[in-house]
Amino acid sequence: MKRPAVVLALALLLLAASLLAYRIVWLGYPVFPTAPGRTWQLLIDAHLKGGGGETTLALALPYEQAGRMLVEERVTSGSLNFNLLREEPNRIGIWSGSIGSGEEEINYRAIILIRPGRTSRNVPPTFEKFPPQMEKEEQALAEHLVRNWRHLAPIGRIRAAVAATGGEWGQPPPNDQDVQKWRNIQERHGRAIALLTLLEASGLPARAVEGFRLIEGVKTRPLTWVEVWTGQRWESLRPETGEIERNPAALLPLATGGSPAARVSGGELSEIRWILNREIVSQWRVHFERVRRSTRFLDRWSLFRLPPEFQQTFRILLLVPIGALIIGFLRNLVGFPTFGIFMPVLLALAFRSTGLVYGLAIFAGVLFVGYAVRLGLDKLRLLLVPRMSVILTLVIASFTLLALVGNKIGLRQLMAVGLLPFVILTMVIERFFVLVEEAGVREGLQTAAGSAAVSVTAYEIISWEPLQLTFFVYPELLAAVAALQILLGRYTGYRLSELIRFRSLGGPS
Amino acid sequence: MIFQSVHRLREAGVLGMNSRNADYIMPCNSRSSFPLVDDKVLTKKLAEAQQIPAPPLYYVIEKHGDIAGLAEAVKERCEFVVKPARGTGGSGIVLVQECTDEGYVTQSGEVISRENFSYHISDILSGVFSLSGLEDRALVEALIHPDPVFSSVTHQGVPDVRIVVYRGVPIMSMVRLPTRASDGKANLHRGAIGAGIELATGTTLTAVHHTNVITHHPDTGHPVSGIQVPFWEKMLGMAARTLEMTGLGYIGVDLAIDRDRGPLLLEINARPGLAIQLANRQGLRGRLDRVERAPAEIFATPEARVEWARTNFK
Repeated sequence: MKRPAVVLALALLLLAASLLAYRIVWLGYPVFPTAPGRTWQLLIDAHLKGGGGETTLALALPYEQAGRMLVEERVTSGSLNFNLLREEPNRIGIWSGSIGSGEEEINYRAIILIRPGRTSRNVPPTFEKFPPQMEKEEQALAEHLVRNWRHLAPIGRIRAAVAATGGEWGQPPPNDQDVQKWRNIQERHGRAIALLTLLEASGLPARAVEGFRLIEGVKTRPLTWVEVWTGQRWESLRPETGEIERNPAALLPLATGGSPAARVSGGELSEIRWILNREIVSQWRVHFERVRRSTRFLDRWSLFRLPPEFQQTFRILLLVPIGALIIGFLRNLVGFPTFGIFMPVLLALAFRSTGLVYGLAIFAGVLFVGYAVRLGLDKLRLLLVPRMSVILTLVIASFTLLALVGNKIGLRQLMAVGLLPFVILTMVIERFFVLVEEAGVREGLQTAAGSAAVSVTAYEIISWEPLQLTFFVYPELLAAVAALQILLGRYTGYRLSELIRFRSLGGPS
Repeated sequence: MIFQSVHRLREAGVLGMNSRNADYIMPCNSRSSFPLVDDKVLTKKLAEAQQIPAPPLYYVIEKHGDIAGLAEAVKERCEFVVKPARGTGGSGIVLVQECTDEGYVTQSGEVISRENFSYHISDILSGVFSLSGLEDRALVEALIHPDPVFSSVTHQGVPDVRIVVYRGVPIMSMVRLPTRASDGKANLHRGAIGAGIELATGTTLTAVHHTNVITHHPDTGHPVSGIQVPFWEKMLGMAARTLEMTGLGYIGVDLAIDRDRGPLLLEINARPGLAIQLANRQGLRGRLDRVERAPAEIFATPEARVEWARTNFK
């Protein structure tokens, strides 16, 4: 008897779980869509002078990686053509065309979402070699200088190489002539290239990276640092000191593997600025932008593809089943009395337009006015449907009056009433009246309070934005909700209220 | 704390609402048979076919136009009851004891003008008292003169005997005794008390008032236990025969004892309440399980089922 229901519930749970897993593992969705992520805005602003013929500007653009997501990108290319080139892992934006006598301004804007602690940097090196600037004999010199470190562990070699670029060669020191030669090379190519060469020479794959540290500010030239492969993962070495960067998420690489962050041919860069600043982007927009650009199947069938005016409805609608689940829970597990089954859900929806406090006030007010009207109407002996219509009319009239009063005394809340509550509540009045007549005021008020409590709970849940977002991003969670509803439907144990009701049967306590 | 209470109730065999619905009502009571018991006019017709005595039907009011015919229908016998055919929990029922020029005098002495009385009936027809809120009909039937056996523990009104019947076997019973608080109605929710009846002998046990166990009637002060219910064997037989009558496997049969006509079937409830457990200070589960384990031959006739119940549920 119980088994098919449980099997169905498990199947639904499994369906929800596998869709969730697919999105999180394969599509890289966030586990908690609402977990705070830091977003940065990167603006690249470049002024380009033409050189008579074809001018080409190649800018390294931020790329996506685990822990780093591009939310939004905008390119302004003026009269130039824009192309995007992928050179794994780099993305190079190429602006090309002929520029007349004047200057061309190009803009690039990206919103980047950083999720600390989610970096995956364990793609092993494919083909690494000495930096192209280094000549053969310079490479040979580097190999000669590092011969003493070969037996060290990768970390030891990294330390030795970093120390060497600072002038410390360790024991036994190489001869002064070689050291002097190397110092000249380092001056010519820069410390980063020198370090790279020493690491490569000591058998550690390494690469130069151009990019920025994520600090708000305006930069005119990128930072260069070295990434080295330790055998398990790429480590970034701090550009200032050469130490291993403990928080790689604080670095934004643009060009990895030696290519420069900006390169121009057939013209001149008269000005270039990289501007970084923090951005507050609503979580909704983060997901919206991301899904909108995706071509994956589930993304193409995402609710974010709905026209925005309908999205709002579905945000709420997706949570209504949870409201129903809660009511099922409160009724079948706790034993709460309510008017009707789904009236509290409707009331919770109505609270959305009125707000909670005023919504509850309306609920109490309508019950009170309605009860008084119903009591008065009793003498007129009207038939049921016309009687309820009269109650509805009088209730609406009272609240219209209240809105006018609110307008006069400047209380906005008194005017902000939705359409829904009145019709629903008028139907409640009749039940309330019969209940009070039949079972007493106490029972009537108890049921009214029960309904209000359930409505408030349901309202709080459907207005909780993180939950709205979670269900909107992962609508398959509805299958899990259905599974819980099925399980609840097969719950045949006691209700909490029954433990009290039948406590005298439970033997001595 | 909670687990302990759950454990204790389970040990005591208390049947909960969820289990009643899922394990007994859903499998035993087919949806299509519900209308037979939800509509008292239909129930009465079925009872007649099974020779189960019920209060004589005087008149059925189907539409507002029929209300005018009421006075004519009750002219000779101005003691009657008006009930909504699909009412629940005794709501909308009016007991009329006398017709005067001012109107109808109810059992509690209140005089309802003819106009107000018609208004009440039109409420019934509009479905104010029906469970689903659908349009309803009103039936007018003979007033029951309760047998004096319970008069010492009744405040006005008509006591009624509830027998829970599982697969045609009477398994537990109680008598609901009106109080001042219940306004003469035999409805536990409204403050009537329910006294358990020992199934084998037909004598009353202690009673429940709301959720408290009591030994004396709150208004009359007389003890509720030890009263021998007359016609007990016959009443069990009537209850058992409702299986053949309705085909429903888990029901509550409500009977009243008229001083002239004997036990009469009032109504059948396809969702009988659980308070009967409090009245008997015993859970239903143990008895339900024993019926399930009973030999197949006892289910053949109502007499065999009653016999089995009386020997097994002492």
